[in-house]
Amino acid sequence: MSSSHHVEKATNVGDPQCFKGEAPPAKFKVGDRVRIRNLPDIFYTRSQMYLREAEATVVKLVYESPPAEDEAWDNTDSPEWFYSLLFKQSDLWPDYPKKFEADTLETELSERWLEAL
Amino acid sequence: MTKSIPLLEKIGKEGRVWSDLCEQYGVENPDPPWRVFLESTCEVLNEGSCVLPSLERRDEEDELVDELYKHIPHPERQVLALAHSMILRGIITEEDLEKHLKTVTERLNAA
Amino acid sequence: MSNSHDHDHKAAPMVDEVSDFEALEVAVRELCIEKGLFTQADHNEWTEYMHTLGPTPAARLVAKAWLDEDYKQLCIDDPVKASLEVGINWITSMPSNFGTPSDYCNPRILVDTPTLKHVVVCTLCSCYPRPILGQSPEWYRTPNYRRRMVRWPRQVLSEFGLQLPEDVEIRVADSNQKTRYVVMPVRPEGTDGWTEDQLAEIVTRDCLIGVAMPRADRKADDKRPVIPAIHPYGH
Repeated sequence: MSSSHHVEKATNVGDPQCFKGEAPPAKFKVGDRVRIRNLPDIFYTRSQMYLREAEATVVKLVYESPPAEDEAWDNTDSPEWFYSLLFKQSDLWPDYPKKFEADTLETELSERWLEAL
Repeated sequence: MTKSIPLLEKIGKEGRVWSDLCEQYGVENPDPPWRVFLESTCEVLNEGSCVLPSLERRDEEDELVDELYKHIPHPERQVLALAHSMILRGIITEEDLEKHLKTVTERLNAA
Repeated sequence: MSNSHDHDHKAAPMVDEVSDFEALEVAVRELCIEKGLFTQADHNEWTEYMHTLGPTPAARLVAKAWLDEDYKQLCIDDPVKASLEVGINWITSMPSNFGTPSDYCNPRILVDTPTLKHVVVCTLCSCYPRPILGQSPEWYRTPNYRRRMVRWPRQVLSEFGLQLPEDVEIRVADSNQKTRYVVMPVRPEGTDGWTEDQLAEIVTRDCLIGVAMPRADRKADDKRPVIPAIHPYGH
């Protein structure tokens, strides 16, 4: 993964700041319930296997950026919105102890990984 | 199962780890001075032409440690894994490394 | 180590021996430079930068937030700006001037409450908020921590000596993309009237990762894990 492709753009601006305004309008908003799509991984992904098909709530729109799957191939042409998602541990792990029902997990995914519930 | 590299296996078995050296010499620093140099090497290899991307290196490090270097502490295991990854990719050869290691050891011991 | 009368003139003990590992680090690095994979200058730049890093700025950020509600809100609304106030510039501090390829520029401060405890992990590769917290500890990078913290957080936390009641929500933050998380723990009892400096002293690195909670009587992290894991098992 080369970082040199957008050096000029990002210098003194920051990454992901340098992609601000480049994504299409966000499809989801805070509070939306989504399901994580099980897209085929070609070579590289930053979408954890344990999240696939699970349900989550959007808690924050965090930034715009090329998705990691594109960035790994130096493709920064199509930034997407990234979302911070909140999962109940009991939705992720079938045997998560019932008495710890309150426990959650928060992590980020780009828009392509989400579908509305 | 990853094949062992004899030179690295030998260093892993015979090399003295930092915690042992600390005990012998009464030093309390948690990390050897070379740890930060190792981190820098990993960073610069990830930059620019990206000879060894961090994510790949880390995944391989996890595998190599699990299969070959499990009983070696950090950061010693990290330098072994780095050398191993580089040899596997043909970035350096075991022969070159062995040769250079001799030169370096002589030089550092003479200082 | 003996206490001698000439303690003013006694040099600090040094390891007077070159280990095979030390020589290996040098040999690998020099071969890389010889092959033109990077320059000595690039390497030096990184080493100098790394030497500046440590957990103090993050500890001070938390201490300031404990004393100032407006600053605490800034930590939530604009962590890059909040970091500037403790001397850390996420955009220009590092050699590349746009964040490092590994750290990026999107810090987030996770604010604990009495019923919400955050803990940070990176399952994919051990990403960590280095610019404000320094180098990650060895245990943070191990598959043992990374794989188990998302799955069995309470088990792993208890191995680190931390147990929380059922009615506290434990929220594991898995930093899988460009955001880097720092935990702002709850201010502990017994710290009334403390200065920012005094408060910063008890916010240790492990508190900022979320595996420990600050205590008025503790200024250094315990050796971790406290109880080594043998097998992961259900609780």
